[in-house]
Amino acid sequence: MDRQSRYQRHSLIDWFSQATVRDARICVVGAGAVGNEVLKCLALLGAGSIDVYDFDRIEVHNLTRSVLFRVTDIGRNKAECAAARVRDLDPNVVITAYTGNILRDLDLASFSKYSAVICCVDNFEARLRLNLICKLWQIDLINTGVDSRNAVVDVFPFSQQSAQSVACYECTLPPSVYQRLSQRYSCGGLKRAAFVEKRIPTTVITASLAGSLAASKALRLGPGGALRSDRIFLDSISGISRPSELPVRVDCPVCSQFPAPFRKRPVRDLQAELARLRAEKGNSDITLPESLILSFQCKKCDAGEGHDAPLFWRASEHDSGLANCRACGAEGAVEIQITDRLPLDTLTKSGVRSLPLPFALAASETGTDVLVLEKESECD
Amino acid sequence: MTDVKFIIRTADQTRKAEVEMQRSSIGADIVQAAVDNWALPSDTDYALVNVTTGRSLVPTEMLDENFVQAGDVLEVQPVLVAGHA
Repeated sequence: MDRQSRYQRHSLIDWFSQATVRDARICVVGAGAVGNEVLKCLALLGAGSIDVYDFDRIEVHNLTRSVLFRVTDIGRNKAECAAARVRDLDPNVVITAYTGNILRDLDLASFSKYSAVICCVDNFEARLRLNLICKLWQIDLINTGVDSRNAVVDVFPFSQQSAQSVACYECTLPPSVYQRLSQRYSCGGLKRAAFVEKRIPTTVITASLAGSLAASKALRLGPGGALRSDRIFLDSISGISRPSELPVRVDCPVCSQFPAPFRKRPVRDLQAELARLRAEKGNSDITLPESLILSFQCKKCDAGEGHDAPLFWRASEHDSGLANCRACGAEGAVEIQITDRLPLDTLTKSGVRSLPLPFALAASETGTDVLVLEKESECD
Repeated sequence: MTDVKFIIRTADQTRKAEVEMQRSSIGADIVQAAVDNWALPSDTDYALVNVTTGRSLVPTEMLDENFVQAGDVLEVQPVLVAGHA
């Protein structure tokens, strides 16, 4: 079917630009309840290019909230299944499914191409990471959230030239969120092995409200565009909608640490770049986007690793069980060195050729010059 | 420091009260008072929005005259985190 016939009704809407929708390159993170609704809307509107990320598999209880999934899809990867259904809805839409963990396997070289990222995940950790990356890469971020009654959509227009005055997701967070995160993680970023995640029940009603509004915001439908961060809170029972401006928070952990403007510098040779930074900035710290395990050692039997050369293991891939010694069996006896900041001297002396992270940040003393180091493979 | 009298309510509007607080109070104090007095679920995080002005209140921000005027309505909204499962 030709495009003109398919989108004929859209062409009758004076504020709707099919060309703008077709040119959009949208990243959807999470293909669950809200992600399904976002993808459905993007497909039916004729969005040109979509990348969808999800490592999770479809379970039977997903079927009550996921318009793109069928009983026969149980066990399939959510992103792959959703992408196939989007192609069924509109073959003109170019959609690619990524089945890895975006936070671990993120390809920052391709990340820059997106006109917007829509966050449809169910945890604060992923939201915090996407917020930081979108802010640094100056890509509009649309955050969604639902419960059984309410839906919320936040718009963070990081692509705006006035991005310094654009609030980020962390500007809005109450301190209780960080307290809750600290309960989930022990020293420096290891997940607590015995922590039981709370499950929040939702329905397709709130998911569809959040999903349709998020798709509209990401495509910037309608006149004008967002110049400041704002939130729309929708009550699905009363029908009340509460829009609110999100102000920049002076002591925001992200905005205060990484004030715009900042420079991105692709790095092909990490060692050479670290040496150059060492010469330019002295032994200042490199900030990492997440914690790394440098070493561990048992206080009882001295067994351990990483003392000769730092391990650089991602803390998010380990849990507090690491504190139990695998050599002598002593519980809680292992001391673990974890950090999210590393002195340049540590990195240059360790001879590190690569970090297991998509980027790192080096801030000058003025705090206004942040360098983003991309992995070699992402420079091509 | 002067006081300011305003209305506070929950997002579902099942709880509502007129309160008077010092302008030196911060958004997080008001949310905590609402959680305690109304026995709101303690395993949920909350944000505070001035629905009269259409502006969210930063948790560490005081009830400055620029942000909260006498008679304004402040709403305690849950921070929504689900959406994937």
